Amino acid sequence: MIIETENISLLFNGISVFKNLSFRIGAGENVCFSGPSGTGKSTLLRMLQGYVLPASGTIRIAGKELDAFNIRQIRQMMAYVPQNIHLPVGNGKELLKLTGRENNAMLTGEFIEKLGMTAGMLYRDFDEMSGGQKQRIVIAVCLSLQKEIILLDEPTSSLDDESTDRMIDVLENLEGKTLVSASHNHRWIRSAGKVISL
Amino acid sequence: MNDMADIGLSDLLLGFVILVVPLFVFLYYRIRLVKDIFISTSRMIIQLALVAVYLEWIFEMNNPWINSLWVFAMVLVGAGTTVYRVQLRWRVFFIPLVLAGLLSMVIIDGFFIGLVIRLDYFFDARYFIPISGMVLGNSINHNIVGLSAYFDGLSKHRELYYFILTNNGSRKKAIRPYIQEALTKGLNPLLATMSVMGLISLPGMMTGQILGGASPATAIKYQIMIMLAIFAGCTMILIMSILYSNFFVFDQYDNIRPIKANDRNR
Repeated sequence: MIIETENISLLFNGISVFKNLSFRIGAGENVCFSGPSGTGKSTLLRMLQGYVLPASGTIRIAGKELDAFNIRQIRQMMAYVPQNIHLPVGNGKELLKLTGRENNAMLTGEFIEKLGMTAGMLYRDFDEMSGGQKQRIVIAVCLSLQKEIILLDEPTSSLDDESTDRMIDVLENLEGKTLVSASHNHRWIRSAGKVISL
Repeated sequence: MNDMADIGLSDLLLGFVILVVPLFVFLYYRIRLVKDIFISTSRMIIQLALVAVYLEWIFEMNNPWINSLWVFAMVLVGAGTTVYRVQLRWRVFFIPLVLAGLLSMVIIDGFFIGLVIRLDYFFDARYFIPISGMVLGNSINHNIVGLSAYFDGLSKHRELYYFILTNNGSRKKAIRPYIQEALTKGLNPLLATMSVMGLISLPGMMTGQILGGASPATAIKYQIMIMLAIFAGCTMILIMSILYSNFFVFDQYDNIRPIKANDRNR
């Protein structure tokens, strides 16, 4: 198992959001957290990155317990697509540079093309793009990092059905990657191999 | 060139008449800063009068411990003012900022007084206190601007920080854009000041030295040296303030802790 949680609980301002949640995700699986707003889907993704700590229970990633000692090593295995794609960055190339993989521009361009745009969009100002275009650029940048685990928070929030289908197709063809997402989108949820309802 | 025309008390009082102009402007445009003009001017008079008394005594004593204590006090006031203005948490950020100020002053004073001017008596109040004061005084503004940019950036754009942290895997890389922003915003005005110095501004220290009887050539050499000291000192104080503060800004998981005085624990 690449991701395992055991009886994890989340408290927000003293109120229980979820309790004793246990799940196992195998390498290469496509898993989606679904459920109404406020049930902790995005927070669960943040938990897997060590940004929110469970009130109780344990999380293991690739056999390593998620703690302060292992966290940096664990994050090296992950790519993260945030829900808020309006990052204070000029364009996709700058975003790619911030990930430390500026040499990946060609691969990022290929992903951008697979997602239905031209590779040159990597260099276009985010200010001149629609939310959907920006979202696909951010996703292409994250995919080009070639990490083992890809975490996606509401990855289709700005996409139309056609773009959503295209993205599902691209992600399904990634070999050996573990996809963990949080989404409301029914198309997206239907495409997941496993759905964990919160 | 040592004869300097003294300003009599009545003449000094006459100088205050010019405040009529800003008072008129503020009143005309109904800017609620009239009270602040009186408070700020009064504070300036009292503080400088006290400093005059202290400095007369300090210069007379010229004791290395007293002179160092004076510089230490300036560092404390500078750090305190910065923490207050940037609205940081006192208990967390005061000590890192004091350490940044102290270490920067050791390096700057050591370099300029020890190596450039090569004084026989390193702690000579005539050099040690004004040079330290010029650097620390200037650093307050630049530190406030730079640290505000850094901490506001981390607070308002934390999504970018976490994006870089996971995707890059390094906190050092994740804070780099915020440090770049802080250094640019904090030090750019100083570079601009240096670039127009002598053209559209006559620096205060040089003017003071010339008024005090020094030759313009000597005054200019000192001005160049002090500008280098100020620029290097401000850079050091700002970057050290950031780096020392970082020990307390992030937890062991690299999460951003509450920064501002009014931040709640998240």
